[in-house]
Amino acid sequence: MKLKKLIKKAEAFLDSEERDRKEKKKYLKQVLRKLSKHEKRLKARLEDAANEEEKARLEKKLTLTHAQRKKGVRLLSEMAEQSKD
Amino acid sequence: MIRKILLPTIFAILAYGFWVSPDFKIIAAGVAIFLFGMLSLEEGFKAFTGGLLENLLRRTTDRLWKSLSFGVVTTTVMQSSSLVSVITISFLSAGLIPLIAGIGIIFGANLGTTTGAWLVAGFGLKVNIASYAMPMVVFGVILIFQKTKELKGIGYVLAGLGFLFLGIHYMKEGFDAFKSTIDLTAYAVSGYAGVLLFTLIGLVATVIMQSSHATLVLIITALAAQQITYENALALAIGANLGTTITAIIGSLSSNVDGRRLAVAHLIFNLTTAIVAIALIFQLTRGVDTISHWLGIADDDYTLKLAVFHTVFNTIGVLIMLPLINTLVKFLQSALHAKVRTMAQPRYLNVSSISLADTALEAVRKETLHLYDNAFDIIAGGLRLDPQAIRSERPLAEAIDSSGRIRSIDIDEQYNLNVKSLYSEIIAYISRAQASMTPAQIDDLFALRAAGKDVVEAIKDTKHLQKNLDIYRGSNNLSIAAEYNAIRLELATVLRGLERVRERGDDSAEVLSLDELKVEMKANDKGLLARLDHLVRKDLISAQMATSLINDSGYAYHVTKNLVKMGEVLFSSGDSGIRSAERSLALDADEMEQLLAESPADIEETP
Repeated sequence: MKLKKLIKKAEAFLDSEERDRKEKKKYLKQVLRKLSKHEKRLKARLEDAANEEEKARLEKKLTLTHAQRKKGVRLLSEMAEQSKD
Repeated sequence: MIRKILLPTIFAILAYGFWVSPDFKIIAAGVAIFLFGMLSLEEGFKAFTGGLLENLLRRTTDRLWKSLSFGVVTTTVMQSSSLVSVITISFLSAGLIPLIAGIGIIFGANLGTTTGAWLVAGFGLKVNIASYAMPMVVFGVILIFQKTKELKGIGYVLAGLGFLFLGIHYMKEGFDAFKSTIDLTAYAVSGYAGVLLFTLIGLVATVIMQSSHATLVLIITALAAQQITYENALALAIGANLGTTITAIIGSLSSNVDGRRLAVAHLIFNLTTAIVAIALIFQLTRGVDTISHWLGIADDDYTLKLAVFHTVFNTIGVLIMLPLINTLVKFLQSALHAKVRTMAQPRYLNVSSISLADTALEAVRKETLHLYDNAFDIIAGGLRLDPQAIRSERPLAEAIDSSGRIRSIDIDEQYNLNVKSLYSEIIAYISRAQASMTPAQIDDLFALRAAGKDVVEAIKDTKHLQKNLDIYRGSNNLSIAAEYNAIRLELATVLRGLERVRERGDDSAEVLSLDELKVEMKANDKGLLARLDHLVRKDLISAQMATSLINDSGYAYHVTKNLVKMGEVLFSSGDSGIRSAERSLALDADEMEQLLAESPADIEETP
């Protein structure tokens, strides 16, 4: 059993495509974490927004950040699917 | 002239030597194999420069002791001060580290290189080194044939070490056999004349072999075979130290002023150390005897005593020069000036960094930013705006209102003067740099090349826009003037937004926020189309004006799109993985359309 696990690990290590994917996932997650924090900050600012103009500006920013984060989450799940195959 | 006859002369001398003495042939082959080992070792370490070495180097810039330690450790590990010097010069030229850190590394490299003498004298001569060399060469060569870069790199390092050991072995064998036929000590010269003569021989030998390490090994093996006297060996070691600066000087020839300053610092360090060592050679020899006694080195173990001497005189050099490092930096900065550069001359592209993938990428990024800086002034000029006003905190509407005195610029002329040749240099550098890159690094490089193209496209679109803008911005028809000034304001907002994000390139969220500018511009373009009907219907503008406005609004959108695309690639200061992740999250045209469709309020909101 242990040997099988070891072989699997070695295979994953030697599979450069899988290694690249892992690497990409790692960086994508880092950027997504930053976007998520940014989104939270924007939401907090939106709650404190003093006027309608500021509110509309922040809402636009929020929509965009959310769209980018959604795109990132989709890319991550696509990569997870590819790893399974 | 000298260059032309130097190589044939060396060949003739060597051929004569081979003919006269088979032992000399073995020694020379030993040196050649050793040098080949150094080349292989350097090749191997270059495979790992794509990240590890650069990251380490980046972290050694904040404190002098860190730079010094980096120099000591890397030279000890790589056994090549030349490679460390060349990497440091290319980092300096690419603007990645300050001069003081570069000098610290070079001082450290001088200390690190002394470990070579210890390894050869303490290990190389005491054991049968060839028995280690053979398997290393075999395993190394097998690994070199592997596909992955890492395994190839390990292969080169292993084969390199094998060849180094094999070279040392042949040198040792050669000198041992030489002993029975010729006694070179008969040519020994004592006193200061000997010191100066052998320093010169050491220097010339190192310049020819381009490696102080090889000279030192040759000295140690000759000393072990008692073919040179201890006193002369010390002088040869001083000469070898001085000769090694030649590699740094050659490396700096193609680099910018900082690279040349570093090479001069290297020369000053080694010259000072050599002068002190020559002046105090007899005192130093006594000092080495005392230290060797403390370390338990036998009185007649001259090879290890040479290693002690090498370490002692380089340490003295560091101790003398380290307190003077700030004075040295000031002196170098005042003595060596950057050549008078035009805006179009490249500042960061340097031949010595072409083979160091990550450094080359950073150099291209910085140079393309330089290209953008030049383009910024042209685009601002094309909009009849003061670039400084855009970069300031002043309200942009105010800057537009007071821009009446700003003269129109000839964009074609400015492009030819400040952009075209710089862009060509970047393209040429990119073509040459990709040879030593991995597919992922080539992707990064191509993204940078595309960013350069985006900058150029933005200038061209501004040029198309400029013609009507100059006609209508001050027109008596207030409606058309207002529309064109709105375009100017939008583009000035984009330029200012880009500058803000550039300052905070370490935050991915900021870099990705550039997409806002695209959304904004797209919304403005759509808003304009909605307003145009009204303006034409009410006869506020002519149909011809409306057509111009539609076209020019399209150009403004393209300028924005290109500049944002450029910003997303160039402004991010994260490493290549982060940059690639950021690029994959930026919204494309369809996603942008979708976002706008989901928030139609944007269109109505625009003026």
